[in-house]
Parts: sequence; C-alpha cells; structure tokens
Amino acid sequence: MTSDPRVFLTLDLGAATTAAALIGRLQGQWRLLGSLAMPATSDPEPMLDLLLARLREASPQIVEELAIPARASAIGRLVARTAPRGLLAVLAPTNARRDSLAAAADRAGWRVRPASLEHGDLLKLVDAALAPGVDAALIGCADPPLGDERHRLEELNLVADAIAERRPGLPLVLSGAVAASGGQSGTTESNAEAAPARPAPERLFAPAPNAGDPPGAPLTIFLGGLRARPDDGRQGIAQATKSLAAVVDRRVEALEIGLDGGLRAAAWPSAGEPSGAGSLASESAAAALFPPEPDEATVDAVLAWSTLPLDRTRLRDRLRELRFRPWADAQGDGALLRLAAARVAVSRLIDATPAISALPPADLVVATGGVWSSGPAPAIALALADIRRRSGAAQLAIDHARLLGPLGTLDDDGERRQLIDDLLDEVLLPVGSVVVAQGLKGGRPIGRIAVRSDGRSQERELVPGGLEIVDVPPGQLASAELEFREPVTVGTRGRKFGIEVSGGLAGLIVDLRDVPLRLPEGSDRRRDQLAEWQRSLWPDLEA
Amino acid sequence: MTGPIGHPASGDNGTGGGVAMANGLGLVTARPLVQRSPTLRFPLSMADTVRVAPGQTISAGILLADRLRDPRVEETGRRRREEAGDSPLLSAGQRTWLLSGGQREPLESPISGIVRSADTATGLVVEAAADSLAGVLAIGGPSRGRLEIATGADGELRPAALDVGRSGSILVVGSRVEAETLTRARAMGVRGVVVAALSGKDLRDFEASERRQRASVHQLAPFAVLVLDGVLRRRIASPVMELLASLEGNEVAIVGDPPQLLFRRVESVPTPPADWVRVASGPMVGREGRWAGPAGPRRFGAAVHLEAGFVRFDDGPPTPVPLADLERFV
Repeated sequence: MTSDPRVFLTLDLGAATTAAALIGRLQGQWRLLGSLAMPATSDPEPMLDLLLARLREASPQIVEELAIPARASAIGRLVARTAPRGLLAVLAPTNARRDSLAAAADRAGWRVRPASLEHGDLLKLVDAALAPGVDAALIGCADPPLGDERHRLEELNLVADAIAERRPGLPLVLSGAVAASGGQSGTTESNAEAAPARPAPERLFAPAPNAGDPPGAPLTIFLGGLRARPDDGRQGIAQATKSLAAVVDRRVEALEIGLDGGLRAAAWPSAGEPSGAGSLASESAAAALFPPEPDEATVDAVLAWSTLPLDRTRLRDRLRELRFRPWADAQGDGALLRLAAARVAVSRLIDATPAISALPPADLVVATGGVWSSGPAPAIALALADIRRRSGAAQLAIDHARLLGPLGTLDDDGERRQLIDDLLDEVLLPVGSVVVAQGLKGGRPIGRIAVRSDGRSQERELVPGGLEIVDVPPGQLASAELEFREPVTVGTRGRKFGIEVSGGLAGLIVDLRDVPLRLPEGSDRRRDQLAEWQRSLWPDLEA
Repeated sequence: MTGPIGHPASGDNGTGGGVAMANGLGLVTARPLVQRSPTLRFPLSMADTVRVAPGQTISAGILLADRLRDPRVEETGRRRREEAGDSPLLSAGQRTWLLSGGQREPLESPISGIVRSADTATGLVVEAAADSLAGVLAIGGPSRGRLEIATGADGELRPAALDVGRSGSILVVGSRVEAETLTRARAMGVRGVVVAALSGKDLRDFEASERRQRASVHQLAPFAVLVLDGVLRRRIASPVMELLASLEGNEVAIVGDPPQLLFRRVESVPTPPADWVRVASGPMVGREGRWAGPAGPRRFGAAVHLEAGFVRFDDGPPTPVPLADLERFV
C-alpha cells in the first residue's frame, strides 16, 4: 500500500457489504477523497471505478494534483476481510464445561458446534468434530478435573484419538487435564480399514478453561491466535481503535455489528504501552445481525424493539429473508427492521463482553459495520442510546467509510497512528453526544440544562422519562450545564454537572429515561413509546 | 410483463461485460443462470458404508453409500459381542466400541459424474457431468425426476391440483408453496418441487412432517424442495422460468449441498439481454426491466440514502431502484 505515497484505496470486504474508500495525500496530509458501499456479491472493480469517476467529476484538480490513474486497478490497496467465522467443534465431559469452553471460543471469534458426554455418547462427539465445515476441534476440561469430569477423561482421550485417526490434519486443541494427559489414550487402535500413510494429527495444547482472571481469558487469547489472519477486518478494527485512543487521548469503544457476529473493542490512553494505548477486544457470534435461523428469543427481542406492526411469523420470515440477502431492502420498513435487529445485536454483544463493561465508560463510542452505513445518523444515535445504558456523557460517531478495519491491518503502529491522526475528522462521522442521567424520579420537570456554544445559549427543562434534544452542529464544541433539584447520577452523583460536549448530526441528546431502559409490557403501547422517541430523532421517517 | 428472452429491442444476448462496464451495469450483482460441472457434496456419517471410490465414474442411480439410520455406540462386553456386520468405532486395551443402528438406507447418485472424494470427514464429493441452476435452500433429497412446469412464474400450486399422474416428476410451482401441498406431493409420488419462495412456517411444518415420516420403519422415496430466491413471495425470474421451460420433460435432479437443480449439459442457454435486470428485494420485488444507468445516491423511504440505478419497467420512465435490490443474469 505505501509504495505509492500519494493515493491508495481501502476495501473492507464484509460478509454482507463491501465498503471502499479512496485516500489521498494533499498538502502533506492524508484525506478521505470518497467512499462507497455495495453488496458483498457485487464485483468491487466497477465500484472502485465509479469512486474514481465521481472524484474526477467533482474535483478534477485533485485528480491532477495526485496523478490518480484512470483505472482503480492501477492504485494500491489496503484490504481487510471479515471472513466467515471458523467453525470449532467444542467437546466436553459435562454440559457446564461445554458451555464455558463455548463461551471462550465465541469471544475468540469462532462459531461453535458444541457436544458433551453428559448428553451424548462417543459417536456424537466424534461426529460433531467430523461434521462438514468444522475447521478445528477443542476438547477440554478443568485442570485439575472436577469430580464429574475425572471419570470421563479416558473417554475424551478416546474421542481425541478417534478424531485424529479419521480426520488427520484437523487442528485438535486440547485444554486443561486433557492437554496434561496428551490427549491420547495410549492404547487406542483404529478399526478402520488399513489406510495409506496420513499426515500426523496436529495437537495443540491450550490453557485450561478455568485458568486466568477472569477464568477462560488465556484460553480465549489462545483460540483467537489460532484463527488470526493479517487482513482480518475485526482484528483490524480492534487495532485501529487502540490507535484512535492514543491519537484522541480518550477512552474509545468500538461496536462492530456484522452479519455473522460482532466485535466490541475498548481502548484507553496508556503511557506505559509502546503503542500509547491499552486495549481489550472481544467478539461474539451471538451479536450476528441476522442469525442463520432466528430462534424464538431472537424474534421476541427484535419484536420488542420494532415499531412495525408485524406478527411473529411475518417478522421471522423477514429476518430469514434478510439472512439470504442482508444488503437488500434497506429502505422504508427495511430500515426500521434493520435498526431493531441492530439493537438486539448490540445488546447481545454487550452481554457477551462483561470484562469490557467492567471498564470505566468510554468518552467516544464508534459504531462500525455495514448495518450503520445507510440509516440516518440521528436514528443510529438513538439505537445506541437505547442499548448503552451507562450514566455519564459520551460522544457518538460512525465509521461511515468503514476505514477502521483496513487501517487496522497496517503492521506499523506509527504509520497507522499517523493515518488516523490525519484522517480523524473524516474517519468518524460525528453523530453527536449523549448524556445519560440515572436515578430520576417523578414525571414533573426536575431540573434544567443550559447549553452554550458559538456565542449562543439554549436552555431546556428536564423531564424524566424522555429525551431532550439540543441542537449542536457537527464540528462544534459546547458547554452543557445540568442542574437538578435532587441528586442524580451523571457519571458521578450530584446536583450540578458541567460537561463539554461535541456536536453532531443528532446534536446533544439528554437521555432522561430509565437506566436500564424499561419499556411498556403491551405491544401496542411499547410500539407507540418507541415511535415517539424515534420521531424526535427521525422526523422525516414518513417522508 | 414481457419476458426478456429474444426481446426485439435487445440485439445483444451476450453476458454484456463491455456494456456493464460502459453503462454502470457492472455495479449490479451478477447472478449466474447456469453453472457448468458443479461440485456436489453428500454428507456422510461414520456409520455409513461408502460404495464408491475416489476417481470412479458414476452414473445416475448408482449406489453411492448405505446410510445407517439412528446409529448408536455400544461397548462390547458380556452382553454385547462383536458380530458380523458390526462396524467397530474404536478400541482401547480390552475395550471396544461398536457402531450399530437400525435399517440401512441407500444413497443413490442423482446424476452422472466423477467421485472426487469419499471420506467421512469431507463427505462424498462428486464433480457432476451436468449443468445446474442455483437456489438458496434445498430440503430433503437428493432426488431426481422429470421436470414439469405446474404453474406460471407467479402461480401457486394448491394441494387439490396434485394427483398420481404427476408421480415421478419434479414440479415447478411458481411463487410459493404451502407445506400441505408439499406433503401431498410426496404422497402422490412426486419427486421434488422447485419454487421461488418458501415461508418459514411452511418450512417448519414440512420439516416436522418429514421427521414424522422418517421415524416410521418404512423407507421413504426420495423427495426434495429447491427454493430459488428466499422466504417472501415473489415470481420466479423470467430468465429462470425460460430456462426451466426449455428443460421441461427432461430428467433433472435436486441436490442440497450446494442447493441446485441439476440437468443435462445444455449447448445454448436462453440468456436474457445484457441490460435486463430484476428487482430481487424491496418494495418492487419481482419486477423486471432494462437498466438505464446509474442514478447515484438517492433518497428512499424512511429518509434513507442509497446508491441507486435507473430501471425502465414496461417502457415506462426510468425509475430509481437501490442497487442493492437489483440483480442481473449472466
């Protein structure tokens, strides 16, 4: 990419959409010259050529100054791919151990095919590992093994032998006491017909699922390393988030939602780290935007966030249809359905990443992934505010050109930071700021907010249970002073708060709703309530 | 709506690569109408007995494997000794585990081809000596039979329309089909159904019916459903319908991995004009027309801005349609 110092393309090849951007160096600084997103099934070359054609039409002088070639194929590229998540057969002695191993694998970005000896026999476990599409098998128990695991250890070793015999070359990850015993029964003989010489099975020894703090963390890291690829889009986002935190010198959280899963990455400035920032990132298949087969819980959850009058059967069909064509039907009802599904995905992502939730709240929250690319920014701000129920103030932004993934694939930390520093104002679409107050009581006004920016002042009364929207344009900083009659929590507990906020397309959202958010039980009332909040940030919804 | 094949204004029956690049048509997702010599996979369980070997040339109807129904593992001991026909799973020291089960079911090849792999882990992989039309989902199968067009592209087949006269056929049934129709089709000896869309409820109902049938001791005749587009009702695309019409009366097969309709190699495929596009999703789903060039970012319903292209439907004015909702056939 860096062989041409003046212009390059980025491509984020997601499971549902492909996003492309053109970056050029103007007056000594990297600038975003254009971006586009198309279905993943489209050929990216015509899209890139269209990107160049638009730039030629809009700014021929830039094309001339940077000597941009006529065809995109002549320009260097930085590519990130969100490959389909690998499938890991998780084999355990008990259901409880199966679940703990599966959770560690999920956080490491694997899809999981679980089986245990508690509800299955040897055949079920071996078949799970030999099933089509399985990329690796994890066999594990605690170290030392628990009572109900110890007497099944021999059978687990037999399973390992049977898998190795029948599918040599399949990475076999042994964890805990299974690893300690080498994963071999020692006397196992296969009764399969004599086979020609086969490659030796690949046995990898991983940390025990009960090791580390929190338990399973070292195993998650090990499993994450097993599927690591240099152009992995999600790992790229995690790296770029780290660089972003170092550049802006603030706590940053990235929420990425994709077709097959999501990523939550947190990063904070840290002088002790060589990169200038510390970070924690975790993935989850539970955060898939449109799961392959939406179960009852998923349908219920999407229905709970939907303002569309759909019955369960119809909603399930629409979700299944979007699984087949996740890029399609993004207008009208489709846009509303997408954001309802995105809320569910973000909620599940947050639930699956308690270690990140335990960190201090982020100053800047970045939404990334194809689902956020077409909806109106204020509606996205509301979706995030609905799910991230942490008191305090945060700035919201969207990685609208999907640059974080490709930029994160750069090996050179300094180069990545320089690019992000230059592109900061263009990488992140400023959505606005959200201030969440917790511990409000009653339905009458309980205080006031005064927002001062650019020489003008706006004052509002604060009424619990609703949203107060204050116009602060993108690029502007404002000083917000909140005064409550009773002590409340806005990050800290008190009656008066002075907060500096950044503007955006949604302005400043003062969120006075319950923490956690409580919705009416009845579906009609719930839809009305959601629609009312939605109208305040998506006024031209009916247009 | 007029079908695209042999459109008098077209004059171009190629894949339109040049046109696509010149007029922005390359931005529209290309959907291959016909795939040549596809590679098929039939999953195997450890309890299955494979009857073919890699490299072997096979023809339609040949036995590929014997599948063991409801396999289970039993450890040998005083009460259970190894007998002829048992499949040993593994042994350690003095202990041996055997695979046993109920009936064996034959897995017959639906098509001619060459076996590329016959391994439990990878399944039976066959390179088909045939062409195929891709779908998004297949249930049941593999199955083969004589192709019969039962309804128009946007029709719907009712259960009463099925009788034993359609036995042995694979029916093209239009825009949607109900589980009741599928169940009756199976009972009438129909070997398969090709349909544009199958709702989630009908899918679940049919799968439940299949499970009940399979739980019986009797061996079931092959039956498969191929879903071409998705879940929500829509007409079968006219280029696909033209292809299916050209295959009527011929032996075809439905396979599940990947979901496809297989048929004898065809010399010339009835390809639509290069600029023929179809709305595959969204409010105008199912409509077809001619590509009239890129429309740039446009505002659509719910104030959403999307990349769009102009499509001329039925000689009307160019209508902007989100690019993500369009497809073209190549």
